[in-house]
Amino acid sequence: MALLTAGALSACATATNVSSHVESGVDFARYRSFDWGPADSLPTGDPRLDKDPFFKDQLQGAVERALAARGIQLAPSGGTPDLRIHYHANVTERIDVSGADRRFGYCQTPDCQGRVDAYEAGTIVLDVVDTRTNRVVWRGWAQERLEPLLDNRDRLASHIQEAVKRMLAQMPTAVAR
Amino acid sequence: MHWSRGWGRVAAAALAAATLAGCAPMRVNSFVERGTDFGRLRTYVWAQTSELSTGDPRLDNNPFFQRRLQSDVEAQLAARGFQKAMDGMPADVELHYHASVTQQISVSGVDTDSPRCEPNTSCAPIVYEKGALVLDLVDLGSKRLVWRGWADTALDNVIDNQRALEETIDDAVRRILERLPRPGA
Repeated sequence: MALLTAGALSACATATNVSSHVESGVDFARYRSFDWGPADSLPTGDPRLDKDPFFKDQLQGAVERALAARGIQLAPSGGTPDLRIHYHANVTERIDVSGADRRFGYCQTPDCQGRVDAYEAGTIVLDVVDTRTNRVVWRGWAQERLEPLLDNRDRLASHIQEAVKRMLAQMPTAVAR
Repeated sequence: MHWSRGWGRVAAAALAAATLAGCAPMRVNSFVERGTDFGRLRTYVWAQTSELSTGDPRLDNNPFFQRRLQSDVEAQLAARGFQKAMDGMPADVELHYHASVTQQISVSGVDTDSPRCEPNTSCAPIVYEKGALVLDLVDLGSKRLVWRGWADTALDNVIDNQRALEETIDDAVRRILERLPRPGA
């Protein structure tokens, strides 16, 4: 019980769920450059984020900084990058009837009694494609509640930065197992 | 004291949810078109995958999910005597799949099949994610759906764990295709 409580508190503090899938056997150490691919055709589910240049700039900037920190640079135009990165953003309405959402470790009321709580969950997905094999070798995502973010651009920018940093920290630096 | 009690309930809800995710049984079922002669259905091709949303962006167009699913299905079909048609060759059936993830509410504690409150559970309503996988076989001669099999199960903490997701796919595909009549049946 103590561990669960600690886990819930920890989740509340970070409030962002981050995870990934990877193709085993791929050597990530050999990747040195990347370029951006087109976003997929699925809508975000929220017109506030569709074609929002601020969101796109913040996300791309965060990815470029995180990758540069591990030695993967944006390829010059006309060059052939090792990786092509696609991103997708999604907003989904979700409900929580217990007041204690497991994913976000969130408790709405002091006594945590059950109540209906509808909220918007935002997800950023990054797909990393090996341009030599044209296969997705890694997918990472970050999810969190959006309400406190969409009305405050500074807060949105800092959360994107943190989410991308944590997401890309999960991408292997050597041969994936 | 106030917060301690509150977080205790958070933990209890998390425990209930974790137990639900871990214990909710996978349900598997299938339909068959009556009168179908499975004896003549021996070869298959995959239908073109479409960009249908699964309801969960982590799984939308997720190649790791798709590769595992297709690999499992092909292995199970081969074990049951079906053959994958060579590229460009005609096939007897076309295989479609669809996966979906939806939020579900359980209002009876951990055991969703029981209206009573199980011991050591909070009995508070909880939300969990249910994943469903559907496999369809379409007779390419008649263009009719001749068999549909599906499985659903709780997915909490599964999609975020690649190994757990793979094991869930393995289990679902095996159990769905166990219900498919063998060629010649």
